[in-house]
Amino acid sequence: MILGEFIINTLSLGSMYALVALGLVFVYGILKLVNFAYGEYVMVGGYTLYVLGTFTPVPWLAVMIIAVLMAAATSYLTELVAFRPVRTKSLDAMLVTSFAVSVLLQNAVLLLVSPRSRAVPLPAIFSQSVAIFGVVTPMRNVLTIVTAVLLLTGLTLLMKYTVLGIAMRAAADKFTTTRLMGVPANLVISVAFIISGFLAGVVSVFWVGRSASVDPLIGFTPLLIAFIATVIGGMNSLVGAVVGGFAYGLLFNALSILLPASLISYRDAFMFAIVILFLLLKPEGLIRGNYTEERVG
Amino acid sequence: MTHTMLTIRDLHASYGAITALHGISLDVNEGELVALLGSNGAGKSTTLKSICGVLRPVYGSVVFLDEQIANKTPESILKRGISLVPEGRDIFTSLTVAENMRLGAFVSYNRKRYQEDLEEMFGLFPILKERLHQPGGLLSGGEQQQLAIARALMSHPKLLILDEPSLGLSPALVDQIFELIVRLRERGMTILLVEQNAERALRVADRAYVLNTGVMEFSGTPEELENELDIASVYFGGGEGNKEVTL
Amino acid sequence: MSGVQMILGRIKAQAVAWILAAALLLVAIVMNLFASGVLIDIYTYFCLNLLLVLGLQMFMGNSGILNWTYVGFVGIGAYASSILSTAPAVKDMGVPNMYPALVALQLPILPALLVGGLVAALVAAIIAWPLMRLSNAVGVITLFATLIVMHVILTQWDNVTNGPRTFFGVQYYTTMWIAAGAAAAVLLMALWFKESSLGLRLRASRDDRHAAKAVGINVVAVRYFSFVTSSFIGGLGGGLWAHYITSFSPKSFYMGEAFLLITMLVIGGAGSISGATLGAAIVTIMRELLRQLEGYLNNSGVIAFDVYGLTEVAVALLMITILIWRPGGIVGGQELSWPLWRRRDNSAEGE
Repeated sequence: MILGEFIINTLSLGSMYALVALGLVFVYGILKLVNFAYGEYVMVGGYTLYVLGTFTPVPWLAVMIIAVLMAAATSYLTELVAFRPVRTKSLDAMLVTSFAVSVLLQNAVLLLVSPRSRAVPLPAIFSQSVAIFGVVTPMRNVLTIVTAVLLLTGLTLLMKYTVLGIAMRAAADKFTTTRLMGVPANLVISVAFIISGFLAGVVSVFWVGRSASVDPLIGFTPLLIAFIATVIGGMNSLVGAVVGGFAYGLLFNALSILLPASLISYRDAFMFAIVILFLLLKPEGLIRGNYTEERVG
Repeated sequence: MTHTMLTIRDLHASYGAITALHGISLDVNEGELVALLGSNGAGKSTTLKSICGVLRPVYGSVVFLDEQIANKTPESILKRGISLVPEGRDIFTSLTVAENMRLGAFVSYNRKRYQEDLEEMFGLFPILKERLHQPGGLLSGGEQQQLAIARALMSHPKLLILDEPSLGLSPALVDQIFELIVRLRERGMTILLVEQNAERALRVADRAYVLNTGVMEFSGTPEELENELDIASVYFGGGEGNKEVTL
Repeated sequence: MSGVQMILGRIKAQAVAWILAAALLLVAIVMNLFASGVLIDIYTYFCLNLLLVLGLQMFMGNSGILNWTYVGFVGIGAYASSILSTAPAVKDMGVPNMYPALVALQLPILPALLVGGLVAALVAAIIAWPLMRLSNAVGVITLFATLIVMHVILTQWDNVTNGPRTFFGVQYYTTMWIAAGAAAAVLLMALWFKESSLGLRLRASRDDRHAAKAVGINVVAVRYFSFVTSSFIGGLGGGLWAHYITSFSPKSFYMGEAFLLITMLVIGGAGSISGATLGAAIVTIMRELLRQLEGYLNNSGVIAFDVYGLTEVAVALLMITILIWRPGGIVGGQELSWPLWRRRDNSAEGE
């Protein structure tokens, strides 16, 4: 049964990490921007859960949907206000801008809410347990996996069978040529940011669903995980991000079990050391992807 | 009387400190096939980039159908009816042939007409029908060039611009591409053809321009050009890089 | 650009650095004569910031690579020099788990500072080679990950650093004079580095990696030696900073500080030394003013809750505004120059 538990835990963790990574790569694929503000979209989702869940009688399902929408809206807004004006000027400027946006959002919450963490009331369904194939597991694990499967299917359909999806894949491949097809650059980029924020919002629900609290730094770990997972999977492919997410979930769970207790506090360092080694040996990641390195200008 | 479609006047363009175009002028009339010739680095691609909105000109005007388009975005220029077949094909290698075609019709998409348009393209390029669901990257060079042209035609352009369509193709394929260009011209398409292969281009063009290091050196009919200039010097590129780089 | 102009340009750039270095010392003299303790403190702090930013500029400004790890090397220098210079009895008390061999070790402050810089350079030399091969997004992420690894080690290795707890009892050594003198020296060094053959090759690799390779520049090697040099300055600066602040924890060498240093560099113009100086001045002044305001708001009870993060919000807003307005920073890539010269430069570029 331990194996069964390990598998379900890994799948659930991997599902969440896959969504985290996918959100980052959606923007990276098109803009070649490593968006340091990405974790803050998760934070915005988390604080929406906290505020609406604590102070309003809005039903839980609606709260979650609003949280996801808020994250997507924040992502879109940062694109509009901060990234769009610097986009055509320099990739480095955009990278630094994303870090500044991250610091700004984090400290805005620090200023407006509190530096201390806040408890988020959760619906009962998150803490209930179910038995699947004889394995008892928290309901939220099952919810995570189901949501991830649904979202990944939906996104696959979107990317494969809609014009918008085709245009987004084309833009990630050759941005300028895509514009020469008449596809507006702003449209593609905005949609990428909205999807990215949407995924961050979904992640925020499950992230907070595990910890039942939010704090201004809550976005940091998802950001790191997105970095690691995309690096493992390959920065230039959406499939790679998903694969990387699951690979990271597996690595994390395996290290948690295998590392002796005295070294567990070094787990993050181990994770990163593995990632750095991995990068040095295989900089293109597990899935090579066929996007070019073209800059947006 | 022929109607002027594209008018370029005194166009200056530069990449940072390097000036690539020193005030060129060019006209394309409706129904014409105009060839723009010149050696490597003469400024041909820069001219095209300026027309299509990829590069913002420093100075000068680009008028298309009585409208100034010099500072418009690539997507809005395409909407107005200029479609570019980029140098080196530039098809989307990770997308299937069908998806490439669908993107070509991004602005002009019309559910009813789309299928007809596709069939028309398959008539011109039968190979594309066979390859419809293969990724563009798996096509051969000649097939990719056909796909690039078909993709550009899907937007129903009023002016088709071809950037070095014969580059890197075998002589047999070059023949095929030029035959196609003639056929398009016969169907009434206005074409601006950019070529290094001056000899071939002059055989099909109504009028020609010769660009040398950012300056328009000649304009006229192919016959006039042959009288005035030694074709070889155009083809092999005379006077390369004298005032090109002024840092 | 003609040869005469090139030489003129060179003298100009050097003149700017000499003027800035002299100004640093001049302000120190004025401060010493007229200013109060608070102002002297702020100026000392500014000089230390400037020194650190210039060290960052050496690699990041000339290579165009966003160097997250720099602040980690500052930390290594700070810890190394503090551990070496602090008396065994103090260490025994302050860092209960420290390795006995380290407890026993004690050096005078100057050699300790130097060793601090060398340890930072050594660590850089060991880890940097593979890092310098990476470019683009993968490079950015790897350097970011490296900083996190450094931070985890600083916070977890309590036999050396006292873990996440504060390391205190470091001797006070860095006066305003020392800070200003060191900053002026590093300013000239940064200029010398930028104009040196290594710096020139590094800048070439920033502007076009492939072209630089094509003309025979070993991009990885050039980046590597520059990175190590920059880390050495960072380590030295960290030591000086430690002997000014006298107690610190690993938190001081993490994202927050990295953000401040990068902001200072970027808003002024990462490519130039005058830009780095201007950026350090703006951010230091802003930070002090906002701190005063935060303190006032928190003490006076004007607002019902405590104010945190105001400084960061303001600095981040400033940074975004400047990047939108001038993505190359206020000064840009060229050194500041006199208006007359500048006009002539522009007309030369026009055609």
